[in-house]
Amino acid sequence: MSEMKKIKNLKEFSTSADRFEGANLLCPGCAHSIIVREVLNATNDDLILSASTGCLEVCTAVYPYTSWDASWIHIGFENGSTAVAGAESMYKALKTKGRLKQPDRNPKFVSFAGDGASYDIGFQWISGCMERGHNMMHIVLDNEVYANTGGQRSSSTPIGSSATTSPAGRVSYGEKRNKKDMVSIMASHHIPYAAQVAPNKWKDMVKKIQHGFSVEGPVFINAVSPCTTEWKFDPKDTMHMADLATDSLVFPLYEIIDGHELNITYRPKDVIPVEEYLAAQGRFKHLFKDEYKYLIKEWQERVDANWAYLNRREAARV
Amino acid sequence: MAFDKIQLKDIEVWDGNHAAAQAMRQCQIDVVAAYPITPSTPIVEGYAKFLADGYIEGEFVMVESEHAAMSGCIGAAAAGGRVATATSSQGFALMVETLYQASGMRLPIVLNLVNRALAAPLNVNGDHSDMYLGRDSGWIQLNAYCPQNAYDLNLIAFKVSEDHEIRLPCMVHQDGFMTSHTAQGVYTLSDDAAYGFVGEYKPMNDMLDFEHPVTHGVQTEEDWHFEHKARQHNDLMVKVMPKIQAAFDDFEKLTGRKYNIVEKYDMDDADVCVVCMGSSVETAREVATEMRAKGIKAGVVGLRVIRPFPFFEIADALKSVKAIAALDRSSPNGAPGMLFNEIAGALFNTDTKALLSGYVYGLGGRDLTKAHLVSLFTELQANVDAGKVTTSLQQFIGVRGPKLSFL
Amino acid sequence: MAKQGWDEFEIGAMLRTFEGKIEDIAGTNQEDRAYSQNSSFVASVADWRIAKPVFNKDFCIDCQFCWIYCPDVSIISRDKKMIGVDMDHCKGCGICVEVCPTNPKSLLMFPEKADEETELAAWPTKNKETI
Repeated sequence: MSEMKKIKNLKEFSTSADRFEGANLLCPGCAHSIIVREVLNATNDDLILSASTGCLEVCTAVYPYTSWDASWIHIGFENGSTAVAGAESMYKALKTKGRLKQPDRNPKFVSFAGDGASYDIGFQWISGCMERGHNMMHIVLDNEVYANTGGQRSSSTPIGSSATTSPAGRVSYGEKRNKKDMVSIMASHHIPYAAQVAPNKWKDMVKKIQHGFSVEGPVFINAVSPCTTEWKFDPKDTMHMADLATDSLVFPLYEIIDGHELNITYRPKDVIPVEEYLAAQGRFKHLFKDEYKYLIKEWQERVDANWAYLNRREAARV
Repeated sequence: MAFDKIQLKDIEVWDGNHAAAQAMRQCQIDVVAAYPITPSTPIVEGYAKFLADGYIEGEFVMVESEHAAMSGCIGAAAAGGRVATATSSQGFALMVETLYQASGMRLPIVLNLVNRALAAPLNVNGDHSDMYLGRDSGWIQLNAYCPQNAYDLNLIAFKVSEDHEIRLPCMVHQDGFMTSHTAQGVYTLSDDAAYGFVGEYKPMNDMLDFEHPVTHGVQTEEDWHFEHKARQHNDLMVKVMPKIQAAFDDFEKLTGRKYNIVEKYDMDDADVCVVCMGSSVETAREVATEMRAKGIKAGVVGLRVIRPFPFFEIADALKSVKAIAALDRSSPNGAPGMLFNEIAGALFNTDTKALLSGYVYGLGGRDLTKAHLVSLFTELQANVDAGKVTTSLQQFIGVRGPKLSFL
Repeated sequence: MAKQGWDEFEIGAMLRTFEGKIEDIAGTNQEDRAYSQNSSFVASVADWRIAKPVFNKDFCIDCQFCWIYCPDVSIISRDKKMIGVDMDHCKGCGICVEVCPTNPKSLLMFPEKADEETELAAWPTKNKETI
């Protein structure tokens, strides 16, 4: 086991030499790359990375350019997790056989995928990777929509969001179903570590990523990734949007150890009403019409209920 | 080494699946990612048992689908080591997306495809529908007719596929049940001799070389995509056949067993011949010999290499024959059969006046009987005698009901 | 980069980030790395910008919020000090300005064609109402 990178504070963190490059093609203000940088900079160990088809992939490896400074692979939409699992298996095989070129390294295996590639089309592949116990981390860049293809709903799209395949209209308030609880599903594989993170809470993020890198076995991370294009807010407000997400408890930050020990890792001093979170985003604009205001109330009730549920689990150590 | 070798007898009684599993064991594969499906399952089971008994060192990843099996193989191959898997039919169909990705990324992977029909209706038996499904995927395709071939061609597949001038994945085909589950005597190589033939895996563009990071699986749009696809096609057309021939030559020196890109049987003076693949080649050879006793100069051409298609070798093998039957074991579903088309293409600009007719046979494991072949050769001779094709250009043989023929 | 013919590139459309060998990437700052022509580091997205951040080091407290929250690896920090903006990679999103906690801010957005010296000379003073 290599020594954990020491990151006491942001100044110390800022001495990291990034392994992700600019002049990628992500939208100005995209949270994906902020999350990617926080993850990659959490370690100095070597990295083997993958991305499933999606914004991150199509914007960082368009021939003849790559934005990745570590080995990276993309196969398809659904199988980025399995690509890394295959590479991790090869690492174990070559280690056993004494054929690694640099045997003293301690690589970390990480697959990035959007919510579409994780909650929907890649669900089975990720479940397989988690079940088989690969020493890898799967990170969802959760922007709650198929952003790369122009804003279609995924099973992470929340109620009332207007997506192109569940648009708000004269007789519809948009998406009708609530998002899948992916962290719980993955934790139910009884993997050593599952957590929800947000880029604005960088210290919480780094701590969780480092915890994930320190355990043997599969790790699942769900990272909220505010999407300027599909959530419809000004690119400069990405971090503000992340603050609203965590401080309204729409995206509570917590971890689940071994599938049965839940810890809440961030408790906002001043909890922001969900209404403020919704009001800041164009995708929820229609909810502020008189006939849909009941949905805002339901949103708040749902968020409150989920927060109570997480607190009950934490208190009961389950 | 932390694994034991197996002392094989000079001749073992193996079915095609076990022959493939033994060859995979001898190649000392680093990662096998696989998912079971009839009739290829015993390859995966056999490999698992070798692992459980300590005859293999490496990772065996039992994934949750065939798509994941090939996805895992791609990740493992890109990481830099020897990789193989096995599948059939529906599982192969589920893999199709990743087949193109494996070949486009130029990753050497050996896939044992134990050929089986494609649903609907569901069928577990051997035909070549899955083989045909893979024929545009950019893989090399080698064709076994019997368990001995399945064993030998696996060794050859790794050698060709992993060559740094090739770096293309390779399928080894055998007929479901007819070859995969039929035990025959198989001449073996010792573990050392087999591994010595295949050679150590030599990494290239390997992700696990941390001092030379590499990006695999990029996006290319209209300004680059065509060039990359052209390069892959060029290498398949130009580089692969000489490497296969060289591997066949080396293999003959080692074992005395001679393989050819196109396998000719009694073709030197043949008037009529059938061109076919898989276990049917052996049946056709037996009948051809019997036809000669009846005065019909019959021969058989079997494809050993399906992709790249042996365009010139086929044309050369058929240049003197007067009537040819192309036997396709896959429903063409609205067209002449693949072999009919490819052979026609190979002969079209040559001086041959040969008469070409197509036959669709054996779907879903229906037997191709000697009686079918006798009447087929007889029809071909009738064509020669008449100086024209006396039947429809496409006939179904062995199917119940009124005679089915087209074109 | 120049478009090559079908026989002029590596097979498999693979790309190398660096020229030759690099031993410790995480321990090597960007200016000391031998990037290849295929790393997006050598490319520019400067023409995406309609507004640009201008950095006024007089007010900077080196908190590194701009560094951590920059999506485009465009805040250059060395030895725990913010030393400038990488104008080849900055897309002008304005996040750095939003997260800057100083008063007045140490980073402000200006039209792409604005003159940096002029803007620095006219930098706003401390605003007591909106910290």
